[in-house]
Amino acid sequence: MIINWPEKFARKGHELFLSGLPIALHCHHYNMNLQKTLESSLGSDGTLLLYQAAEESSYAGFTSFLQHHPKINTTKSKLELASTSYQYCGLGIINFTQIEPEGGRIVSPHSHHVTGWLAKFGKRETPGCFFSRGWIAGALAVIYDKHIGYYRVDELQCKMTLARECVFEVVIA
Amino acid sequence: MAIDTDKIVHAVMHGSRIREEKGIIPLFGVYLSMIPVEYYNKISFGFERKMGQDGSAEKLLVAAGQECGYATFQGIRSSREWDEVVQPMIEHTEDQIYCFVSIAIAFGWGDLAVEELIPHEKLVVRASDSYEARGYWDAYGKADAGKCYMLRGVAAAFMDLVYGAEYPDGCFQYTAIETFCQAKGDPHCEFVARKAAL
Ligand SMILES: [Zn+2]
Ligand SMILES: [Zn+2]
Repeated sequence: MIINWPEKFARKGHELFLSGLPIALHCHHYNMNLQKTLESSLGSDGTLLLYQAAEESSYAGFTSFLQHHPKINTTKSKLELASTSYQYCGLGIINFTQIEPEGGRIVSPHSHHVTGWLAKFGKRETPGCFFSRGWIAGALAVIYDKHIGYYRVDELQCKMTLARECVFEVVIA
Repeated sequence: MAIDTDKIVHAVMHGSRIREEKGIIPLFGVYLSMIPVEYYNKISFGFERKMGQDGSAEKLLVAAGQECGYATFQGIRSSREWDEVVQPMIEHTEDQIYCFVSIAIAFGWGDLAVEELIPHEKLVVRASDSYEARGYWDAYGKADAGKCYMLRGVAAAFMDLVYGAEYPDGCFQYTAIETFCQAKGDPHCEFVARKAAL
């Protein structure tokens, strides 16, 4: 089943919704500045907060999407939903080809956070896709019917450090 | 010509439906994302909790909002979409602020309205149903101070852009306070931006 995302993006008065979920449009200036503020003020506690906030909101978001679309009931179609929603939300491209319920690898050749970070702050020395890591952990937990926090997602290489693409490793936490 | 908020909202809704092949949304000179408001609230209020109640998180979050508002709306007013859709509506310098507010509404930042604008001096913006206030109230209950840090920074950024020094030297020339906030139980949120003390 292919989701018609533009149809799911709606405005009710002044509020924006994607498939029933309240969302906001923000640009890379804000998203990257928030990341930098948290990281420079709190170090790893700050990046953990970014990861967990993304994990919790993607967990809640996917739970809601799947409730709205009961016909999306195979793992394959759920993974496809995850990657098309990532793309529709302007977050980038994400490939779930090497993933199993026990974990695996995920490759992202393009993303909002990479493009935004490089445009605003330039090259990083360490991987910086904390949002995407958390987002993947939350989405996979819903797709494989696990509790939140079941997966741990690390980033093995990152385009923010000028690697060719971002590569994420998913393991059972 | 009056500022046509509906036309601006329509242009943003239309533009934000367009994706290039990298899954990025380039619109109005910036890269846009659609992220659940819950994420932003978890980050802001989680950060505030971790930093302690000494006001340092509040300062940083307002500054992040202001710096971003400044860069974002500079990108927006320099864009092709602005030239096409918004510029024809602008007759006076002050009109820019009303257009910025319309774009903020289009971005889903709340039901914003300019209550008062004294050129160079003071801007009062009201919001009902800001997602920051709603998110705080839902997660933690009644607040003892205003919680709409992003909107507060953005209100000051609007004045910086229109009445401050030429970009990029005008940021933080204005500063805003939140005089009412729905997170405190007030009927609406209100932001007052004035010249920052030197
Ligand atoms: Zn990365
Ligand atoms: Zn407020």
